[in-house]
Amino acid sequence: MSGNGAVWGRVRCRLRAFPERLAACRAEAVAYGRCVQASTAPGGRLRKDLCAQEFEALRRCFAAAAKDALKGGP
Amino acid sequence: MLPLTRFWLRWRRPPVARIPGRNLGVRKVASGVSPPSSASPRALNIFDRDLKRKQKNWAARQPEPLKFEYLKEEVGSRIADRVHDIARDFPLALDVGCGRGYIAQNLNKETVGKFFQADIAENALKNTLETEIPTVTVLADEEFLPFRENTFNLVVSSLSLHWVNDLPRALEQIHYVLKPDGVFIGAMFGGDTLYELRCSLQLAETEREGGFSPHISPFTAVNDLGHLLGRAGFNTLTVDTDEIQVNYPGMFELMEDLQGMGESNCAWNRKALLHRDTMLAAAAVYQEMYRNEDGSVPATYQIYYMIGWKYHDSQARPAERGSATVSFGELGKINLVSQGKKSQ
Repeated sequence: MSGNGAVWGRVRCRLRAFPERLAACRAEAVAYGRCVQASTAPGGRLRKDLCAQEFEALRRCFAAAAKDALKGGP
Repeated sequence: MLPLTRFWLRWRRPPVARIPGRNLGVRKVASGVSPPSSASPRALNIFDRDLKRKQKNWAARQPEPLKFEYLKEEVGSRIADRVHDIARDFPLALDVGCGRGYIAQNLNKETVGKFFQADIAENALKNTLETEIPTVTVLADEEFLPFRENTFNLVVSSLSLHWVNDLPRALEQIHYVLKPDGVFIGAMFGGDTLYELRCSLQLAETEREGGFSPHISPFTAVNDLGHLLGRAGFNTLTVDTDEIQVNYPGMFELMEDLQGMGESNCAWNRKALLHRDTMLAAAAVYQEMYRNEDGSVPATYQIYYMIGWKYHDSQARPAERGSATVSFGELGKINLVSQGKKSQ
């Protein structure tokens, strides 16, 4: 928040669009969440990239939602 | 090494001494004498107080501060309820870490004669809410109260002590400025606050990055709170917990609200960066693990309310051993005795 706050404003704008994009990817988010939650059950062990596939799907959907939002905009 | 120590001590002087006289219209109070039990040489330094002041100033400068301060409003009104519950009026009261003054808003002139409001953020003090009680605003840090001993009948503090570095010392200072038979009523966040956010971030960071760092600041446990109050010299302690659950559309809205409240993390050990991937993963985990039926996600705020009194001769004390006149075995006969009296 130094200077005129231009960079911070841009980043914050991008961040504000996250909830909409996440709402567009409900299925992938649920799949990823279930995978992580399953690892917290007794006997499961959470390690890096345990749910990498689900996360890749979520990230692709997220990026696609961003492109759609850009196209659909003015 | 001696010159270095002297420099360190000077840096720790209360911020009140450094305010230029021209601004704010707040009364400059001379630095009080510090209490005999000062901070240990190895005082804890968990939070960056300078950053916290900047964050609170930023939050108070928002165009719509009331949009974010619903929690402080609610807890402020609950503390005012507790003040009203005490069948007494207080000529002089102090609010430590007042923010925009949510406690004063709910009190009236009969209960409190004059109110001192202290906070580290000057923007918050400039925009205090309307109240009918005459107030004096003071720019002061919770750990370095610039008041003399035995000044106040009542000290209140709402949701600001969880950012204090040396909590024992802050409580001792509060005890110091209280008059004998004065009371301290405080509220601070407890251990279970925002546990959903903490867990989601931990799981997501472990899965995405292989390890995790703390993003939620550490809170006091309820047992420790009782010990701290006792150590500070308070009598007749009461600590009770309350949970407020607020529903948000998602994790990002929760984080934005926390920043708007001025409750962003300012611990020294915080990680400066939160990756976009981790944020996305954490939001997905939060949604899946803690979601309500209508799709919103809850965030729990656990609040500890504490009441402590400063010792005075008039206060009730435990009776001497062996001075009992009635035995516990006769407890069961109390109803019969009172019924007998009524029928007479």
